[in-house]
Amino acid sequence: MTNLNSLNKKWEAQLRKGTLEIAIMAALREQKLYGLELLKLLQSLESMQITEGTLYPLMDRLKREGLISAEWVQEGDSRPRKYFQLTTHGKEKLSILTTMWRQSVIDVETLLTNANCDNQNIKGVSND
Amino acid sequence: MTDREIIHQYLKSLTKYLSRLDKTDTDEVIKEIESHIYDSIEDLEHQGINAHVTGILEGFGQPRQLAEQYVAHILDGASPPTGFKAIQSVKKGVTRSLYYSMASFGFGISLLLALIGIIKIFSPHSIGVWSAAQGNSFAIALSGGLYPNSSELLGFWLIPISLILSFLIGKITWRILKILKQKL
Repeated sequence: MTNLNSLNKKWEAQLRKGTLEIAIMAALREQKLYGLELLKLLQSLESMQITEGTLYPLMDRLKREGLISAEWVQEGDSRPRKYFQLTTHGKEKLSILTTMWRQSVIDVETLLTNANCDNQNIKGVSND
Repeated sequence: MTDREIIHQYLKSLTKYLSRLDKTDTDEVIKEIESHIYDSIEDLEHQGINAHVTGILEGFGQPRQLAEQYVAHILDGASPPTGFKAIQSVKKGVTRSLYYSMASFGFGISLLLALIGIIKIFSPHSIGVWSAAQGNSFAIALSGGLYPNSSELLGFWLIPISLILSFLIGKITWRILKILKQKL
């Protein structure tokens, strides 16, 4: 059972590795968020239970790839906060990832529900 | 230890492990994490929860492991940001200007030495290496009369020496330019 649990955890971690990037980009698509806001938003979702130690290095990588930009903003007397925002390049990439993600979900769903059907049926499904 | 001291200790340790990065990169990471810690404390207090700094720091993990994640993708992983293209073209410009200045400098000296050798053949008394002030200064000049009490060095040896040097400098310049051209 422990072994099975650890395998599940491993799969979950691998899945999250890929989805986290698209999740962060989607979260920043329409709004600027600072670190804690973004973390809390992600943590409010069941499959996005990540820690600070995962989020910040990832944000740094996305920034270096030019997908997000960051700026320090000071509101009133409060301490300055670093706000993240999706760049134009990030928006383009998000749109490509969205298409790929949706196709992938449809494909897996198709296999999960129609695995016993003949190949013709399965091939016919697409998100076009 | 007070909360402030615990935070300070954590960030100090993180700075140490981030030492492979540029100072600006390290400072940015530290500033960002410090800002998050204080945001979290404020947020918890706002909710009426007693904030435990150690609990917040646990979210970041051990400084060493956290630093490794930054160092890994900064040093080898990620593709350069978009602005990097501009840096590359600046770099290319530097190489190009280096190429042409190397060419004019190297071939210029080579040509000058060849000229000295050739003039010495046809007009031996008008050019030479002159020593003045008991060898404390010397000059290659088109006239021996420039310096009082000067004496000519080398004599006709100036011809082969200047021609050989001219050839060698020309050849070295040619080789360096060939290497630089590959990087253009």
